[in-house]
Amino acid sequence: MAKYVLSRLFAMVITLWIIVTITFFLMHAVPGSPFNQERNTSEAVQQNLEAHYHLDEPVFIQYVIYIKSLATLDFGPSIKQSSTSVNEMIGRGFPVSAELGITSLLFAVISGVILGILAALKHNGAIDYIAMTFAVIGISVPNFIMATLLIQQLAVTWEIFPVATWATPLHMILPSIALATGPMAIIARLTRSSMIEVLNQDYILTARAKGMTTFQIVTKHAMRNALLPVITILGTLVAGVLTGSFVIEKIFAIPGMGKYFINGINDRDYPVIMGTTVFYSAFLILMLFIVDIAYGILDPRIKLHKRGN
Amino acid sequence: MKKLVVLLLSIVLLLGIVGCTTTENSSSNSGSGSDESKQEGKKVLKLNNGSEPTSFDPPIGFDSVSWNALNNLMEGMTRLDKDDKPQPAIAKEWELSDDGKTYTFHLREDAKWSNGEPVTAGDFEFAWKRLANPDTASPAAFLAYFIEGAEAFNTGEGSEEDMMVKAVDEKTLEVTLESPVAYFPSLVSNPAFFPVHKETVEANPEWHTEADTYVSNGPFKLTKWEHDSEFVFSKNENYWDAANVKLDEVDWAMIDDTNTEYQMYKTGELHTSDVPADLSEELFNDGKAQVEDQSGTYFYRFNLEMEPFQNENIRKAFAMAVDQQKIVDFVTKNEEKPAHGFVAYGFEDASGGDFREVGGDLVTTDADKAKELLEKGMEEEGYDELPNVTLTYNTSDDHKKIAETLQQMYKEVLGVNVDLANQEWNVFSDEQKQLKLQFSRSSFLADYGDPINFLESFQTGHSMNRTGWSSEEYDRLIQQAKEETDEAKRFELMHEAEALLFEEMPIFPIHFYNQVYLQSGDVTGIVRHPVGYMELKGAAIK
Repeated sequence: MAKYVLSRLFAMVITLWIIVTITFFLMHAVPGSPFNQERNTSEAVQQNLEAHYHLDEPVFIQYVIYIKSLATLDFGPSIKQSSTSVNEMIGRGFPVSAELGITSLLFAVISGVILGILAALKHNGAIDYIAMTFAVIGISVPNFIMATLLIQQLAVTWEIFPVATWATPLHMILPSIALATGPMAIIARLTRSSMIEVLNQDYILTARAKGMTTFQIVTKHAMRNALLPVITILGTLVAGVLTGSFVIEKIFAIPGMGKYFINGINDRDYPVIMGTTVFYSAFLILMLFIVDIAYGILDPRIKLHKRGN
Repeated sequence: MKKLVVLLLSIVLLLGIVGCTTTENSSSNSGSGSDESKQEGKKVLKLNNGSEPTSFDPPIGFDSVSWNALNNLMEGMTRLDKDDKPQPAIAKEWELSDDGKTYTFHLREDAKWSNGEPVTAGDFEFAWKRLANPDTASPAAFLAYFIEGAEAFNTGEGSEEDMMVKAVDEKTLEVTLESPVAYFPSLVSNPAFFPVHKETVEANPEWHTEADTYVSNGPFKLTKWEHDSEFVFSKNENYWDAANVKLDEVDWAMIDDTNTEYQMYKTGELHTSDVPADLSEELFNDGKAQVEDQSGTYFYRFNLEMEPFQNENIRKAFAMAVDQQKIVDFVTKNEEKPAHGFVAYGFEDASGGDFREVGGDLVTTDADKAKELLEKGMEEEGYDELPNVTLTYNTSDDHKKIAETLQQMYKEVLGVNVDLANQEWNVFSDEQKQLKLQFSRSSFLADYGDPINFLESFQTGHSMNRTGWSSEEYDRLIQQAKEETDEAKRFELMHEAEALLFEEMPIFPIHFYNQVYLQSGDVTGIVRHPVGYMELKGAAIK
């Protein structure tokens, strides 16, 4: 096990390095500059700015400088918001995005799994159809439409919730729901299909024969196997949802880190592009690693160390 | 046991990751100023800044998200009144030498910083030299070039000592300009020329990044800055004219989405809002949307280094085929003024006339003439068929609508099929500067309140030229206008230059910009200048 973890960690570092390198050179290959403005600036001013951020050096030198500072976990200052470092940006934005992400993920997982199980138990029944219609709507309605609808109805017309911003727990409800509908629908569908498969297994029949109630069967025997596919996508989902959603954060004016992914690129704010990419990749790789470990525990048939023992 | 492990794992997966972050929630849960605002009699104005200010360090935050707010935190030598005229602010008066080049500003005795210390001429000298210092890397540094020696200092050819701004004593600042600039008092109202508290800046280079270290000298002081979320201004009791500041507090939200902003305006969480594009027609019809001029021009650039626009008559044909009035009436529908010249409205000459009105329409819509000029131009160039024309704009719905309208107009009027192309903004901007685009969308917003700011753009090799157009005559006129001390003559030279620009037509205008907004009836006294930034000093709320 320890050997496995070590080799995985090593692979993770290599993967990250490859991502950093490719992103760095791609980013500099794209036309444009962080100082491009439609308004007037003089040539000298432009040069002073470039010198200030070492952008006048050859790209390879910039790469070496960047890797050196990255080794100390320093992402450097943002060019656009020159008084803020990228570390500060992530430090401020990630907790907020994560808070929103966790709330909506909890909502998505709990309601998704329940919907999926109900649908599987009443396979081809009314509940199944209702739950799956719900799921199809959840997948097909984009979250920005959902967000606008929620604001219009619940905040403006009925005035139950505040329209936007991020202040009290009450402010968290609408964005969490808007963000959760998509993942919830995916989870519901996955749970349903694997649950149906599991429920047809012999051991479930045995359990039934022993006189267990449906509730016991589902919670004790079926769920553990049925949730394997859900765990699989959870890794990606967690990384995606926790690092922020550009659209939802923009609509609800939430100070998360979602906007940095998009604005960094639009502004050609190189340190921000790199910082967010590195952070997201590291986070995603870590999540996938945790998911792999979780497999081994959930399903003893999966061996982590290939030809071990 | 195994069940327990499964349970624990799922919890780890979901919660464990942020165990460390939940402790920080308290900071984001700090209620907005609204709770405090319920205290009796407190006058709180609620505005939206759109996004996090780039920087509240005057020479750095060269954009409206920084300077709109900063304009009310700090104060320069002068401040623009509601008619956009510079009025004494930190300077109580100033004198101009006979050659029109040396200004002597006398500071108010009672001008103080928010920390209680006096605002000195030394603070201004320090701030202006800091603006030009190449190490500051200010994007607004070129505004300092009016001061003698500033350009040399900024480009690294001169030294700080040779930049001609000097604190003669505690309260007197003397500044010598490169050439006479009649509008210098208006220019120094610009945030780039705001003073900074020298000791604070020298002691802590990060002074401007947080509310507790920020020192200001304007009507308001920064009392809270929750990054990416909101900031709060309170009345600055140390301000020399505090008696005339009617608001107790200004809460600035940062809402990027216009629809959300509009919804919050409707529920009373904001006092002003932009107009969402989809609703603009409706809001104009209801008379709810208000309009203010903005000094800037939406225009198109021809590239004179690419066929067929090396030919003046073909350029003119493309310009005259466009009906600006129709574009503002049926396409943009934002009540802009159609533009038939490059310099916007709002610049008064010596005898009180408006520059634009005196200059008149320099390009008019004329379908027959356009057709005639196109034929003539094609003949001159020996074209049987016009080379392909591609019109490029940066990706945006608004620009697309105008581009498609132009395409239609060229087809109807000239019988020419124009291709459309759009590019991501940064790519577009790069290619336009490198003269790789044949025919492209452009805009200009004035940095200071004088027609010369518009016209200097098209001097040979100027960074705003971007057309490949060059005229010795034009360059000479602009140079003369910059050195002329007589206002009437200066305006004459500028009119002559603008006429010449349209004689050769390297560009043609579409419309002048404006500022459209919604504002609660309870709010009065917010001033939005055509050139300059939002003014809250005289703002009040019922």
